[in-house]
Amino acid sequence: MLDSAVVATKKMFFREAIAKAVREEMALNDRIMVMGQDVGSFGGSYREFDGLFGEFGAERVRDMPVAENASIGIGAGAAAAGYRPLVTITYMDFLMLGFDPLINYAAKLRYKTAGGLTAPLVVKTTAGAQGQGVAHSQCIEAWLMSVPGLTVVAPSTPADAYGLMKTALRADGPVVYIDHKRLFPAPGEVPVLESLVPFGLAAVRRAGTDVTITAHSFMVRMALEAAETLESEGISCEVIDLRSLAPLDMPAIAQSVARTGALVTLEEGQLTSGVGAEVAARLFETTGHRRWARVGALPAPVSSNPVLEAACVPDARRVAEAVHKLLAR
Amino acid sequence: MTPNALDMLRAMARIRAFETALSERKDHGFQLLSSGEEAVAVGLASALTERDQLLTGGRSIGPAIARGVDPRAVMAELLGKTAGVNGGRAGRGHLSDPASGFFGAHAVVGGNISIAAGVALAKQMDGDGGIVAILFGDGACGAGALHETLNIAAKWKLPLLFVCNNNQWSVSTSREDALAPARLSDLGKTFGLPSRTIDGLDVEAVAAALGEAAQSVRRGEGPAFVECISIRLRSHSTTARETRKRDELAELRTRCPIRRQIARLGLDDDAVEALERDAADFAAAALAFAEASPYPSAAEVLTDVG
Repeated sequence: MLDSAVVATKKMFFREAIAKAVREEMALNDRIMVMGQDVGSFGGSYREFDGLFGEFGAERVRDMPVAENASIGIGAGAAAAGYRPLVTITYMDFLMLGFDPLINYAAKLRYKTAGGLTAPLVVKTTAGAQGQGVAHSQCIEAWLMSVPGLTVVAPSTPADAYGLMKTALRADGPVVYIDHKRLFPAPGEVPVLESLVPFGLAAVRRAGTDVTITAHSFMVRMALEAAETLESEGISCEVIDLRSLAPLDMPAIAQSVARTGALVTLEEGQLTSGVGAEVAARLFETTGHRRWARVGALPAPVSSNPVLEAACVPDARRVAEAVHKLLAR
Repeated sequence: MTPNALDMLRAMARIRAFETALSERKDHGFQLLSSGEEAVAVGLASALTERDQLLTGGRSIGPAIARGVDPRAVMAELLGKTAGVNGGRAGRGHLSDPASGFFGAHAVVGGNISIAAGVALAKQMDGDGGIVAILFGDGACGAGALHETLNIAAKWKLPLLFVCNNNQWSVSTSREDALAPARLSDLGKTFGLPSRTIDGLDVEAVAAALGEAAQSVRRGEGPAFVECISIRLRSHSTTARETRKRDELAELRTRCPIRRQIARLGLDDDAVEALERDAADFAAAALAFAEASPYPSAAEVLTDVG
């Protein structure tokens, strides 16, 4: 169903929505702190922490040196010891440097202590291609989805950026929160009053009857653009914004595909062992096979060269082509 | 002889007996033992108070027992029993009992160092007067995590005591072959930390040096770094091949920290026998407790995941 409740909203950029969520939660809970490169007076690489340093001070908004591994490790340790750190990693590619504390420690802490300790840690990072080359463009969220104990969310709207960040800052276990460089320029309506978006709940962004397109983060925009084009050709697309990748909202996807009978999974990252492969496999385990096509990056690094970058990552045209091909089968 | 010196000897003998009893069991699994390194664990524990927390690498059994974790629950944990300190699911690599001041082991070499800095940051922000000690091996001195953490801990003046237990081996690679610094404590010096290298086989010297270092950390002077040079009397793990020659191992045994402390205290045969009996009873009680506890049911595999 479409999100239709009427609530007072205000137009905000993604970064403003993040700052609103973090500000509100920091005011509510003095255990929350922000740690990362350039988060202090600079206000974050994308100004997503604008003003927080002045409001909450250097103890709770900490500039870190270039040390991703120790930043996540210190965040995980402080989380285990009773704080709620939000650690920012400028680009998702650099998250790899902190996999040990994130995956080997934080994600396993509750399990290995039989529930005795938890690591309420949020790692916020920015994914996606925007001219920055092979080690500043990757979308590796599918790697993270396979880690037991890890929650992974990737909002596509400022409202969800706000609501999911608030939920993340109240969660008991580690959360990887992924935003996207190309989502920052476009504003969206964000609830004025406090509201939360729960984990594990997808959102139908466009209702349709012929095919279901699942996507997350910036690719939701590409799916909606493709749906617009396809509508003029008489093809009705339902677009599901996954929002939460771990846990996945399989009931929402299943209900949609039960009506449309066809599925296109869309992601900016690699197709191999990707989000779409997981969505389809989980769905078909319960429903049996359905018509399915997947769209993602070509199996190549993402170059900063504009021609090669555009050739690598999906766009609305490729989504529309995939829908055509699938429905022609 | 100070009573404390005898207590420390008893603690070392108990750890040795505990680990020996464990390793003699057929079902001991994969274990990292600390024979030859007991003086570091016991000396370090003597420098810590109830408000402090200790974190270690995977070679955690001796430090956990020295810190005061219930040895019966440690043995049960090591053997995978539900009465283990973590329900039997952590094992030696991930033992944890914050209530006893043992925040936990983390068996990725170097991996617990930044975690310990996070716990130290929490202590600093709480202002509870406690400090954190992180015990790691010479192997971790080649890992980036140590260098990243030293830098941040120094800048933030964290209440963190870096203790390097340099047993001089990373599995089969010697410290000389692996690490460039003349002394591993030079790593602490680089970041402006008070740093020392000491004899890690002399439990009283370890206790004194770490006591002093802990005091400076406790006074808010920021982190300190102490390298304790010890010996590894057994192979890397209970399943790893021993790569050293017999005569080399025989020479190492003459430097055993327990024998050294017995000699220093001038214990007679009766006293040594009493010491050994106490240690054997200690290990036997732990084993008996562990024996009596069941394994977890397979249905527990999905509990407390996330």
